[in-house]
Amino acid sequence: MDIIKRKKELVKEFSPMLEKTSLISKLWIVVLIAIISVGIYAFYLQFINGHKITGMRDNVVWGIYIINFIFFVGISYSGAFITGVLHFFKGSWKYSIARIIKIITVLSLIVGPIFILLCIGRLDRLHYLFIYPRIQSPITWDIIAIMTDLIGCFIYLYLTFIPDFAILRDTADLKVPRWQKNVYKVLAIGYQDTASQRERLHKITEIMSVMIIAMAIVAYTVLAWIFSLTLQPGWNSTIFAPYFIIAGLYSGVGVIIISMYLIRKIYKLEKYIRKIHFIGAGIVLLIISLLFGYFTFSEYFAKWFSHKTNDEELLNTLFSRYFWEFILANYIGVLVPIVILFFKKLRTIKSITFAAVIAVLGLWLNRYLIVIPTLETPYIPIQDTRPEFIFYTATWIEYALSFAGIAAFILMFKLIMKFVPIIPMSGIIDQERCEENKTNNTTNQVQ
Amino acid sequence: MKNNKIEKSGTNRRNFLRLGFISTITVATGASLFSNLIIEEEPDSSGEKMRLLTPEGKIVEVDATYINKYPEAHITPAESRKGIPDRKFVMVIDLAKCKNARNCVETCQKEHQLDYNEEFLKIQLMQDNKEADPYWFPKPCYHCDSPPCVTVCPTGATFKREDNIVLVDAERCIGCKFCVTSCPYSARIFNWGHKEKFDNKDIPYSPETGIPATEGTIMKCDFCPDMLRQGKLPHCAQSCPMGVIYFGDKNEDIVTNGEETVRFSKLIKERSGYRHLEHLGTKPNVYYLPAVNRQFPLERGFNVDEDIIERYKNVEYVKDLKKQGKI
Amino acid sequence: MKRDLYKYPFITSFVIVLLLSNFSLAQENDVSNYRIGFNFNTVKQYDNSRLLELNFIATNKKDRKDKIPVNNAEIKFFNVLNDDKVLLGKVYTTNEGVAQLILPENQNYLIDDDGNILLIAFFEGTNSLEAETAEISVKDLHLELNLTEIDSVKTALVSAFTMNKLGEKIPVEDLEISFYVQAMLSKMKIEEGTISDGSYEFKFPTDIPGDVNGNLIVYSMVVEHDEYWNVTQKENANWGVFHKQTMKEKNTLWSAVAPLWMYTVLTIMLVGVWANYVYTIINLIKIKKEGDEIKLKI
Repeated sequence: MDIIKRKKELVKEFSPMLEKTSLISKLWIVVLIAIISVGIYAFYLQFINGHKITGMRDNVVWGIYIINFIFFVGISYSGAFITGVLHFFKGSWKYSIARIIKIITVLSLIVGPIFILLCIGRLDRLHYLFIYPRIQSPITWDIIAIMTDLIGCFIYLYLTFIPDFAILRDTADLKVPRWQKNVYKVLAIGYQDTASQRERLHKITEIMSVMIIAMAIVAYTVLAWIFSLTLQPGWNSTIFAPYFIIAGLYSGVGVIIISMYLIRKIYKLEKYIRKIHFIGAGIVLLIISLLFGYFTFSEYFAKWFSHKTNDEELLNTLFSRYFWEFILANYIGVLVPIVILFFKKLRTIKSITFAAVIAVLGLWLNRYLIVIPTLETPYIPIQDTRPEFIFYTATWIEYALSFAGIAAFILMFKLIMKFVPIIPMSGIIDQERCEENKTNNTTNQVQ
Repeated sequence: MKNNKIEKSGTNRRNFLRLGFISTITVATGASLFSNLIIEEEPDSSGEKMRLLTPEGKIVEVDATYINKYPEAHITPAESRKGIPDRKFVMVIDLAKCKNARNCVETCQKEHQLDYNEEFLKIQLMQDNKEADPYWFPKPCYHCDSPPCVTVCPTGATFKREDNIVLVDAERCIGCKFCVTSCPYSARIFNWGHKEKFDNKDIPYSPETGIPATEGTIMKCDFCPDMLRQGKLPHCAQSCPMGVIYFGDKNEDIVTNGEETVRFSKLIKERSGYRHLEHLGTKPNVYYLPAVNRQFPLERGFNVDEDIIERYKNVEYVKDLKKQGKI
Repeated sequence: MKRDLYKYPFITSFVIVLLLSNFSLAQENDVSNYRIGFNFNTVKQYDNSRLLELNFIATNKKDRKDKIPVNNAEIKFFNVLNDDKVLLGKVYTTNEGVAQLILPENQNYLIDDDGNILLIAFFEGTNSLEAETAEISVKDLHLELNLTEIDSVKTALVSAFTMNKLGEKIPVEDLEISFYVQAMLSKMKIEEGTISDGSYEFKFPTDIPGDVNGNLIVYSMVVEHDEYWNVTQKENANWGVFHKQTMKEKNTLWSAVAPLWMYTVLTIMLVGVWANYVYTIINLIKIKKEGDEIKLKI
């Protein structure tokens, strides 16, 4: 296999994605920027007027912002976990989706903490978290975990970019702006694809994969502890950390499936993102949804069965005020994916993506039902007349910022795809090299 | 003809003037009557002026030479982290005497410059079970010995002092609200937006007074350390007409409600004092004396504004009363 | 027309009267609604000085909680015996309506034959406030408090006597007295008794903590007696049984300094992770170096 020739072929195949932007793509970017602008305006209003224009009040002091935070960070940690695990699998199929997952990991870890910043009352004092930290506080642990994880995931993503940057740098006739070419040159850090460089890169990538897996678990556990180390009914649960990890994986795999579907469709990558990916991801989603259903059931069943007063109050709100959210999150959100994915006949690409959508929406509602009802049923009964102090209703500001966050995620994803091919070219080459060695070995053995 | 016209116009003018005169007088009367009614209902509540009678027999208003002589020396946020030495403050609330007079709530609100709905000390109506009668339950911050709020604060803006008091330093608080979700007694409140009273920079800020508060920070009952440094009871204990709130020093083993002074340990032992939600392990420093042998019938406590009674609409007893049409 | 003229003046004058009366009712500034209180009290303090205190406060006749103090009123205190009037002092009432005068121990009073001192507080009166006088007839009581250990039992002893004209001590009979211990915010009553034959003693309770050094301040007080009015005495004793809180909680979840194991675990974990990052970056630099070398060769 002539590597240089192969590289040229791959560049030719993928460079249109980098060079051209279709009209629809441009329109989408405009729409996304519009949504983000609305979000920025909403943030400006919140900054000027204070949090009183959100729906949060003295009893439910945490609302949609923290729900989005744990949702996005959950996606990120599950992405990190999955890429780490994927690295140790052998097979050509992993390369197609590895970069997608890594990008999702990094981007959601950027968008998530922005939401928690929105929840902070005094943004002008953020540096106090670093000047006066208290290490007994779960929030301090969370900050350390997120920062460490963000840097780790970033490095990990970058490690996979290096060979591709090298290929792009070496392509003379790439029709991209000059500054972009310079960036490729700098970021490729002189990678010439020699055997020793390749080996070194593989070594550090392998160590990072192990580290990423461990960090993902520890970091999301710390986030779960923000809730479960308090005394509140509904939060003070022993299985919160494993529950959050499974839930994070659930939403993470769901988002991965949705991204695979969209990217495959929009960029016509049917050759690389094949049905087998969807079926594989679908089976993983099935297993995780079974686990997720099991954990959710354990949580609520124990509360219902032992019917402590505060638990009972909490369950009452779930079955009265939040009835539909509960059904959607914990019944439909669990059962529909299980049904779709269980039966071989039902597993088509479209149906698996549909199951993923249901899973992601159901999980967001599940997060909502974890955070809000507990705050609405504290130990000391809320005896107040103002409805906004008794129940939580999010305002348009919070919704606008949520959608802006999602739009920012998609926009950043699109921009990265214009910078680096979404299917790692070096990965494909590595894979083909591997197969060639295998066939050579077998032919040698035969000989 | 002409004369008639002139006369008519003259009369018209006169009528118009008369009409104007009458209407101004009526408006003025109406306004003064109206404002009179308002004035009659609102007592002199500014808190910053006091009325004095001069020897010449005139009633005048002067600025209250602030009765609160604190601070002699300003207690900065850094200094406020050390407590008053050798003290361990404790509060005892006698539920048998509370009749929901709400003097404690109102005085606390006045002295801490709180709005009508902001309450450091809340009066709950608690009904332990269906058979028992409910009782009025004043709930300040408990200044726990194992405070979950202090544990979770990421910047150390809330801290536990050596004299048992848990304070909030609003200059360090970043408003993450973790302490609010962490407190099982719902003792903390958050400043959700900017209020004019925050701009009053006359008094330098001290966590011991909590004035002026700032937007985006937490505030709560502070056991009035400014009063304690002057040897006076906290405002709620001072203002309770029934002497419900006892306050004192566990080291000295003496608590007082302004009129009675008793041994703290004796009071708790004899009256079977308990702490609310003891099993949570927070170790509160506010003890309650059970609501037995009550001094007042429960209904006395419903002698308050409509909107305050509305708060208790979920208590079984109140539901029954409403059904019977008594409220 | 003529009827109009009749109508209007009536209505206007009626309205004007209403207005005027409204304005006068709007502010509760009418002194006639208040009852003027002029209360005179005396306390013999523990340094044997005598405090004369006058409260000059007006109370609303309809609302007993509406009190207005009279400030800056000139109060003269006199000591009177028959026709002799000695001015003891002239004080102005404060913003709380209180006028206080402290007379030293060696003050020579005009005393009548029964041993009573007649004290008068006098307010001259102005155009709108009437003159006020209040009278106290008080007998000088000597109160002594002793805290001693008798037969290794901590005892408080109080002796009360009056001095007659000849300077003889006459023990007091049948006088109610209370004993208090000083607490941070108030005084706690520990004993109540009646002085007979000029003295009273009781066993001092042994379980009072006192202040941080075990010091106790004990008061003996005669309160609102017909003859002696108020007398207080004070004594110090180191009879407190203060239990110093030896258990100082440090390194807990809520203290400023965290438990040591938290620091250890965090350091180990962070060092492990960041060492890996540094290792990765070092390797990246090595890759770069190799690439640069190859480039030079070319």
